[in-house]
Amino acid sequence: MRASDLLGAEVHTADGGRLGVVTGLRCTSDGPSTGGLPAPRVRALQVTGRHVGAALGYQQDGQRGPWLVRALVQALHRRTALVDVGSIDRIEDGTVHLSGTPD
Amino acid sequence: MTDDDTFDLRLRLLDRQVVDPDGAMICKVDDVELVPADDGGYVVTALLAGPLALGPRLPGRLGRWTVALARRWADGPDPAPRRIPFERVTELGSAVVLDRTRDQLGIARLEDWVRTHVIDRIPGSRHESE
Repeated sequence: MRASDLLGAEVHTADGGRLGVVTGLRCTSDGPSTGGLPAPRVRALQVTGRHVGAALGYQQDGQRGPWLVRALVQALHRRTALVDVGSIDRIEDGTVHLSGTPD
Repeated sequence: MTDDDTFDLRLRLLDRQVVDPDGAMICKVDDVELVPADDGGYVVTALLAGPLALGPRLPGRLGRWTVALARRWADGPDPAPRRIPFERVTELGSAVVLDRTRDQLGIARLEDWVRTHVIDRIPGSRHESE
């Protein structure tokens, strides 16, 4: 699987409801370390209602940049949910189907 | 898991320049390979580069044409993106630093062929700018 299979994918809950679009992949640096660095491990999908402006990264806390752009992107992505990748049931046809409904 | 101990894969890794230990440019990170881990999550196992990796990320016809052209020009019947195992990565910063040179990785056959058969034959191509 590739990161691009997840980024931009629609996310649907177990009851068929649309949760949003994957705009980011939250990682920790605790993967296997066979070389110089521990491999990044994707822990959660960052899901928002829309995809516009997500590549700029301003929807995340602590990002600096032009305040107007930052405010606009944060307003567009104010309803952001983190979905544990363990709750992924299957990925097909550009859609991530969850095994449950996140809180 | 808090924001402090996590990072965004797209912002940290995708589209970053890949360089060798001497800083020579190798490629860009066009995509990454993810494998489900036994102890949870998806682990990055390789960096992917080239039009077959970038194409699927591009929107609409541009992406489809990029992949189609790359397939047409590829050598084998089942072409794949250039793949760099993540264990080759020694640093993740503004660039992704590897422990091998491009020649040692052998991942840019088209560029190498162009350099050998075209660029090197241009008079003056071996001279450093002075």
